[in-house]
Amino acid sequence: MNRATTTLLALFAITASAQVRYEDLLKGPGADWTTYAGNYQGWRFSPLDQITAANAKTLVPKWVYHVPNARGLRSSPVVHKGVLYITNANSVYALDGRTGREVWRYIDTRAKGGGVNRGAALFANRVYFTTGDNYLTALDRETGAVVFSKQFADPSKGISSTSAPLVVKDKVIVGSAGGDSGMRGFVAALSAETGEEVWRTYTIPAKGEKGSETWGELIEWGGGATWLSGTYDPELDTLYWTTGNPWPDFAPGTRKGDNLYSCSLLALDLKTGKMKWYFQFTPHDTHDWDAQSWPVLIDLEWRGQPRKAVLHANRNGFFYLLDRVTGEFLRGTPLIDKLTWATGLDDKGRPVLIPGKDPTPEGNWVCPSVKGATNWMGQSYHPGTGLLYVLTLEQCGFFSTSAQTPQPMKNFSGGGATEEGGQVILRAIDPKTGKRAWEYPMTGAGRMWTGTVSTRGGVLFSGDDDGHMLALDAKTGQHLWHFNMGELLTASPITYEAGGKQYVAIASASAVFAFGLYEPAVSVPVKKVTP
Amino acid sequence: MVRTMRLYACLLLALPLVAQHGRYLNESKNPAIGNPEAIAAGGKLFNGSCAGCHGRDGAGGRGPNLVRRALWHPLSDDAIFKSIRDGVPGADMPPTKLPDDQTWNLVAFVHAISGPAFENRNPGDPEAGSKVFWGSKAGCSNCHSIRGKGGRMGPDLSNIGGSRPLAVIREAIVEPSKDLFLLGNEAVTVTLNSGETIKGVARNRSNYSLQIIDRAGTLRLIDMAGVKDLAVSSKSPMPDGYAQKLTSEEMTDLLAFLARQALRTAEDTYSRGKN
Ligand code: HEC
Ligand code: HEC
Repeated sequence: MNRATTTLLALFAITASAQVRYEDLLKGPGADWTTYAGNYQGWRFSPLDQITAANAKTLVPKWVYHVPNARGLRSSPVVHKGVLYITNANSVYALDGRTGREVWRYIDTRAKGGGVNRGAALFANRVYFTTGDNYLTALDRETGAVVFSKQFADPSKGISSTSAPLVVKDKVIVGSAGGDSGMRGFVAALSAETGEEVWRTYTIPAKGEKGSETWGELIEWGGGATWLSGTYDPELDTLYWTTGNPWPDFAPGTRKGDNLYSCSLLALDLKTGKMKWYFQFTPHDTHDWDAQSWPVLIDLEWRGQPRKAVLHANRNGFFYLLDRVTGEFLRGTPLIDKLTWATGLDDKGRPVLIPGKDPTPEGNWVCPSVKGATNWMGQSYHPGTGLLYVLTLEQCGFFSTSAQTPQPMKNFSGGGATEEGGQVILRAIDPKTGKRAWEYPMTGAGRMWTGTVSTRGGVLFSGDDDGHMLALDAKTGQHLWHFNMGELLTASPITYEAGGKQYVAIASASAVFAFGLYEPAVSVPVKKVTP
Repeated sequence: MVRTMRLYACLLLALPLVAQHGRYLNESKNPAIGNPEAIAAGGKLFNGSCAGCHGRDGAGGRGPNLVRRALWHPLSDDAIFKSIRDGVPGADMPPTKLPDDQTWNLVAFVHAISGPAFENRNPGDPEAGSKVFWGSKAGCSNCHSIRGKGGRMGPDLSNIGGSRPLAVIREAIVEPSKDLFLLGNEAVTVTLNSGETIKGVARNRSNYSLQIIDRAGTLRLIDMAGVKDLAVSSKSPMPDGYAQKLTSEEMTDLLAFLARQALRTAEDTYSRGKN
């Protein structure tokens, strides 16, 4: 062993010290962007202000990283100390945030189930992500080395995993996907240290349990997937998680009743997973209207009283304001204009149905479409403007039933639905009134899944329905800048700072792009490399 | 020259994953595959009829090293069968006239030596090998980690048995600089314009930026505009001489231990596991 090696050996035995602590996650974004939605409240808001409404017109692309074999990336990056982490199915890539150069990659070649992955989580010196076949894998943040990889659910029961985990204190909270082919949804807390299960709360009751009377015989396969990460209130020590549709999606005859706790918002105790309350947006859903987007936590004044509230822009076409301590329904307003299945919500928040809107053998035309008035696209709340920015979709579609008997895990949803055309409109909603402050209509075919991030610099970044990245004035919705990314956008942007400069990053279908303010290039002489 | 060697290193680094993947997609259902008796019988046949060209255990000679070749030219079991039965027309590989069952034994053997070490019964005592790995004599864990424990300078070995054939693992230990798996592992010394000197392993580098794990084990992102001098070693940071340093028993045990290191192993899976 030569001397150089010996020195290195001694030096490299030391572990890196830069830890992501719970306190850092509590603080929310700054230079770093450490959780899927930025902060625990689900704001997707950044205090960075180098890029402003005044200078956004000088934004330029800074780097692009093509994720190997990626098609339709759904991942929203997380960033810590200048390193950006992006996921694809069963893989994580660590990139230098200033240059897009790869630092390491981890690909789990044996994972079964490709599909979608929405992102990673950071805690301590680790990156966490889940595989399509439900392994929670913890990797060393700096080297990509495996710390543990532990399976938390059985893929042979129709369960897969797509959401970015959420780390709170010593727990990694994971969800379950697969609700459209029959499965039993859950939210689970796993130990951040070992991946061992701490608790698991099912979103659908077992036969005989309270709530099971709202189901029929297919209750074990009732769905209620938890497709997306949730939010967390540190004071109340409560997690807010939404649940997906009941299964079979379009064959409601097999499941007479409200089908608890599908299409709902659940308030769960962080320590035990116990359900504190639930609110069901769409009882007995027949249109695959998962309660898809995450719940946004804000405090506001309601009828002269301060309230801890939770906002929810729902796929069913309504925008909800609830009390997040009790789950009390405060207000519901239409999120979209084309809404044909309910006349409104009653004083408990239950939809007032228009009869004859269920799927039929020949197809029933209903608005919103199966894709919904909004979906899992990243919404953003700006504490300065006081506005919530939501990508909404004015789209209608056919909903049909099938004569076949539903069979779990055969991906048989008991019928079908169409989701073409319509228009995507980015809407700025005032949570205090439920009214729209402004809106930004887009061109496109209604196929995007992209979302937003807003900044103290007064800029709202969003993808559009035509493959463009946009910068809008967060106050007025005025267009400031756009860039054609050349592909359908299916992921949401974030913003971070590296090397003292602000960047905005977003995944396109196949690559990660980072944008920043224009600066003239500095010539870099080629270094002679000495041996 | 350095440049082409690095490119080569890069290829080797990337390919094993692809190789594994290709194989898993084309797993044969023939009962000989993975069957220890069939593999042993195939090994006997191999050493009689094939080793003259391919070397003992497929390590190469007149014909190619079958273990390494599989890394860049993965074959399904059926394709291996066909190569043995028909030979490789145009190359120096003759056809054989062995009956089906014996041919399948050969396929099972080739599959075993070129597949992940974890899939085979390997000689040696993994418990004893674990002591070698974590012990100070070999010092492997100063540089390598397994499931979150160990050093940060060398590649993570948590899945080494699940991703590499035994012969490839052995070679990496005995002749670390042989194939220069260096890209992402270059030992570098950087002098910044500020005068600061940073030693470490370059995970990636270009004319414009450098990503290294520095002496403190911390990832450093460096702008080449701020670099005065860069020294890159052409040798692997992994020490030479383990073949002499370790007894053959220690080496066998160490290999048995490394062969066991695989993610997604049976005790991990939800359906069968402790969960
Ligand atoms: C006379 C020398 C010779 C003998 C004997 C021989 N091989 Fe080969 N073998 C070769 C050569 C040369 C190649 C490379 C062919 C090429 O380059 O495509 C090869 C290739 C192969 C391949 C890889 C084919 C591919 O497409 O990658 C396999 C597997 C193989 N041999 C197995 C065997 C087995 C098993 C035996 C014994 C039954 C055997 N060989 C006997 C010379 C030989
Ligand atoms: C001084 C640090 C150091 C020590 C000590 C060390 N290694 Fe390495 N090792 C490396 C580096 C760096 C690489 C990557 C470059 C290479 O392949 O040579 C490596 C590569 C390897 C590989 C190949 C990994 C792969 O992905 O294919 C194996 C296997 C390995 N080492 C095993 C060992 C074992 C076993 C020991 C102890 C007997 C050991 N190493 C000791 C630094 C070290």
